[in-house]
Amino acid sequence: MSAEDAAGDADAAVPEETVPDRESEALLEVREVDAGYGDLQILTDVDLNVADREYVTIVGPNGAGKSTVMKSVFGLTNLMGGTVTFEGADITGLRPEEIIREGIGYVPQNDNVFASLTVRENLEMGAYILDDFPEDALEAVFERFPILEERASQKAGTMSGGQQQMLAMGRALMLEPSLLLLDEPSAGLAPDLVDEMFDRIDAINDAGTAVLMVEQNAKEALRRCDRGYVLANGQNRYMDDGDVLLNDEQVRQEFLGG
Amino acid sequence: MGIAETYTRGRQAAVARPGSIILGLVVAVLLFDLGVGLATGDNSFSGVGSLMWDGLMRGLVIGLAGIGLSMTYSILNFANFAHGDYITAGAFSGWATTYVVAGLGRADIGALFLVGASGSVFGGTLGIGVTGTPLAVVAGALVAGGFTVALAVVIDRTVFKPIRDESGITLLITSIGVAFALRYIMQFVFSSSVRGTTAQPPSVSLYFVDGVVRINAHDIALVVVAGGLMLGVHLLLQLTTLGKAMRAMADNEDLAQITGIPTERVVRAVWIIGGGLTGVAGYMFVLWKGTLGFNDGWLLLLLIFAAVILGGIGSVYGAIVGGLAIGLTASMSVIWIPSAFSRAAAFFVMIVILLVKPEGIFSGRSTA
Repeated sequence: MSAEDAAGDADAAVPEETVPDRESEALLEVREVDAGYGDLQILTDVDLNVADREYVTIVGPNGAGKSTVMKSVFGLTNLMGGTVTFEGADITGLRPEEIIREGIGYVPQNDNVFASLTVRENLEMGAYILDDFPEDALEAVFERFPILEERASQKAGTMSGGQQQMLAMGRALMLEPSLLLLDEPSAGLAPDLVDEMFDRIDAINDAGTAVLMVEQNAKEALRRCDRGYVLANGQNRYMDDGDVLLNDEQVRQEFLGG
Repeated sequence: MGIAETYTRGRQAAVARPGSIILGLVVAVLLFDLGVGLATGDNSFSGVGSLMWDGLMRGLVIGLAGIGLSMTYSILNFANFAHGDYITAGAFSGWATTYVVAGLGRADIGALFLVGASGSVFGGTLGIGVTGTPLAVVAGALVAGGFTVALAVVIDRTVFKPIRDESGITLLITSIGVAFALRYIMQFVFSSSVRGTTAQPPSVSLYFVDGVVRINAHDIALVVVAGGLMLGVHLLLQLTTLGKAMRAMADNEDLAQITGIPTERVVRAVWIIGGGLTGVAGYMFVLWKGTLGFNDGWLLLLLIFAAVILGGIGSVYGAIVGGLAIGLTASMSVIWIPSAFSRAAAFFVMIVILLVKPEGIFSGRSTA
């Protein structure tokens, strides 16, 4: 895909100045990444990009390395090769606490709230790296998730799974990131809450935050997103608009259960 | 509700929690024995009151010294066996300061610096005490805290930080090595003699039913300092961003990292705060008991571990409550058993309580 693009650009003899311009369009750019944990390599030559305000999902079977892609972006894996750039800056190999400053928020799948801290304290921790506490951001989070304001002084561990998921997202939003990484946001939620969760993610994206999401619930995720990647065995398989992938016979057969 | 139902319920409770029933029976027997003793005059109310006060003081020392241990355990996930010798190091640094400030011009400065090694100077002769030499005592407590902060940070940098990612066992064994090294350096420098450090402090006698309970000025100083620092730690943990970050890190270190909390900085803060508390605890311990030896912290460490485990290891509040429980037990056990067994009694009570509540008293509410 990218090879074709590059070839097309060369044919059209694009003036030199537009080259950096084109690159800066991609908010996040993952290039030929090999990554894993310790000596175990999971990803091979994975390419992926997310444009500003775009909503991208990664789907694929269990063990495809979907979460590993996300963790690699956030500096939580052993990066063996390739580069990760964000807003034009190379963030390959940076530590999470540095990456978060660049404007990427990450909501992990499990254990994503501080159970023994109150809801409010969890949100405060989200803004730990700022010198001045962002009252505006807190207001915005409370507006987006009113339940969090209602339960501000309740211990996070005593809340339901859906509420904890909202809290985890709220915490990531405290820094008003330009890209939000969501690892299986619907995991463990009661079926009637799953739709609500997707609506909330839509709303976050509509407000201008780019979203990169890994989802088990592939059909719904592809329906909602702008663009999707299908990953298998740690490698790129398909990439296209969500609807296109959803209606692609090959993809349906292989990955969406017909 | 009939008798049969009550019986069934009681039976269920007995089957489900035999430990609680036995513990309850033992406590009842002990209290009955105490009651009989008080009634027949074998025990006096004032005697029991004195023991309780003594236990409370011991508990404050153990609790205050236990906070640092619990903090490092909850955040670094290892039991620091060198903690006892941090206590001793704090005590020696503080008392050297106190001796120098109190005795400057009245005795050889070398002897003062060595806290009167081999009987060259006596604290009693210098009239050391909160009322006699308040300035020397305050300066000593501050230096004890400051020195132990520096010691804890330096040892963390040079010893623990390079092996931070190893298992807890590796760190634990390393800390035992650090403990030995520190202890015998102190023995080498300050000699192995146990010296008296304070003059007899003034005391008040409070009338209590059938006699008096004596409370001296150093008891009061201990209550004020320990109480103040415990309150300070509580406020730090609950109200400050750093304290919340410490609790967050104790709760879930991976998430703390993802959230952007600079974990290395929090670790350093933990050593600083824990070290300061530990040094001051060591100083107050010596002020209160009036003697100082190179083994003091190491011997206290066993009781501190008992307290911290009892309270639910990793919980600061557990360390305080556990400290009071262990201190009271060790002191009050002499009502029933010979005083030689008072430490054994403290450990016995710890084991019994853990049998009933294996996670410790404050388990499940991790509070850094």
